[in-house]
Amino acid sequence: MSSHEQADVAVIGGGPAGLAAAAEAKAAGASRVLLLERDDRVGGILNQQVHDGFGTKVFNEALTGPEYAAIYEDRVNEREVETWLKTHVINVTKDRLITVHSDKGLRTIEAGSVVLSMGCRERTRGAIGTAGTRPAGVFTAGAVQNYMNVRNLAVGRKVVILGSGDIGLIMARRLKLEGAEVVCVAEILPQPSGIGANLVRCLEDFDIPLYLSTTVVEIHGKSRVTGVTLAEVGPKMGEKKGTRRFIECDTLLLSVGLIPENELTNKIGIITNPVTTGAVVDDSFRTSVPGIFSCGNVLQVHDVVDYATMESEKAGTAAAIWATTGKLPDADIKVSAGAGLRYVLPATISGTDAVDFTMRSWREEHDQSVIFKSGGEEVRRLRMPHMEPAGMIRVRVGKGRFRRIVNNELTVEVGA
Amino acid sequence: MNSTVICIVCPVSCPCEVEWTKEGGVTKVENNQCKLAFEYVEGELFDPRRMLTTSVPVDGGNWPLVSVKSHVPIPKDQMLNAMKAIGDLRAKAPIKVGDVIMPDFIGSGADLVATRNVAVA
Repeated sequence: MSSHEQADVAVIGGGPAGLAAAAEAKAAGASRVLLLERDDRVGGILNQQVHDGFGTKVFNEALTGPEYAAIYEDRVNEREVETWLKTHVINVTKDRLITVHSDKGLRTIEAGSVVLSMGCRERTRGAIGTAGTRPAGVFTAGAVQNYMNVRNLAVGRKVVILGSGDIGLIMARRLKLEGAEVVCVAEILPQPSGIGANLVRCLEDFDIPLYLSTTVVEIHGKSRVTGVTLAEVGPKMGEKKGTRRFIECDTLLLSVGLIPENELTNKIGIITNPVTTGAVVDDSFRTSVPGIFSCGNVLQVHDVVDYATMESEKAGTAAAIWATTGKLPDADIKVSAGAGLRYVLPATISGTDAVDFTMRSWREEHDQSVIFKSGGEEVRRLRMPHMEPAGMIRVRVGKGRFRRIVNNELTVEVGA
Repeated sequence: MNSTVICIVCPVSCPCEVEWTKEGGVTKVENNQCKLAFEYVEGELFDPRRMLTTSVPVDGGNWPLVSVKSHVPIPKDQMLNAMKAIGDLRAKAPIKVGDVIMPDFIGSGADLVATRNVAVA
């Protein structure tokens, strides 16, 4: 038998984004807030990120992942958010009818508002198409982080890491500290993907070499990995002849990117942005479907959890206001990414309140500016000493500036 | 001397341009976005330290491991020694965030403290 429940706000995913959204939804006046989490605990990836560096923007100190998660877990508990663990959301309709599966069987929830905060999963070997055999010993970096930091399992003794994303760099240090040999990190791009701080404290500190414009072209071994073949790549990612070399190892870690888990978003029929693959949202984090909001890594991949928290707090507040009053300001001003930017978010704004715009540049840039323009005139400009694709850019624009907007259009671009 | 020191205090990773001498210390820091860089750069040039974060096995807990950190940074060249020093350490549930798992664990004045709550299983 299935049961039927009602909630003002249902939040899907109990990672940092979902925790922040649920806590703020409750604080903003929603009476029943449900936080739906498929794992047996909330906190998401923070539970396995035992390193520090979280919270420098929100708390002005560098906390570890579990400490950061514990603060928000306490907050949702104090505010009496109802958390359903080991609960899989299998469907959400446009009318916000949610179907979940758990050990209590199938249940449906009628929600005033829904917040999509499902986060990301890791890109795997299949998604990057490496040649070779199919031995044991090939892992995604996040899976190894979970084995080592949560489950107390070791994965190998001699490790090659493909991809210089932050999780890969952090796992290089973690493996080294736990006594494994980390032979090298290989990155296909000509520049590292992870942040500078991690290149210093995870690689340089431990003399772990980073090979740029280099990738794994073959994996060797029958039952277990025995080595990998590395090769250099040219500007168009093609293999450079004569650069192949064999590296002996028993483990290959892949840190080759994250895939936002937007299956539910797409199933609902929400309009998405082809660059982020996440929902197109306004400055209240509303999607194209009324009453459905999106925030956190499922919306756009963040490199700093603090910003995911701030974004999700706004989404949670807006979701509560919509569920209880049915009113949010109309977002009629269209925002587009101009020269130099891969994307900008939100896609539309109301102009009634300050907005934190988030964006990523196509290239590394020095001494350039982020320029907001409307009708050919400048609305706001922010000097950026340094921009790179690996670093999300966040610019606050006060509501006074929006008075200069004409024809309800705003373009954001990189310029001198 | 002139050095480029990447500040590791936060993910922004400012590539600080530093002027310094062995005797007079740091005389100029540029290219930093916030003032936390000054203290970091000085430390990095004269007494580099790092936070140690790792985990310790737990007996009787709802998690097999408790994540831990040095409550203050430890000398950078002591990181691997510190891991050896706590190699056989075990903790016992229940544990609260901030509990000292091992006081002054390498004799540098840093305590090893829990960063996760672990309840009794």
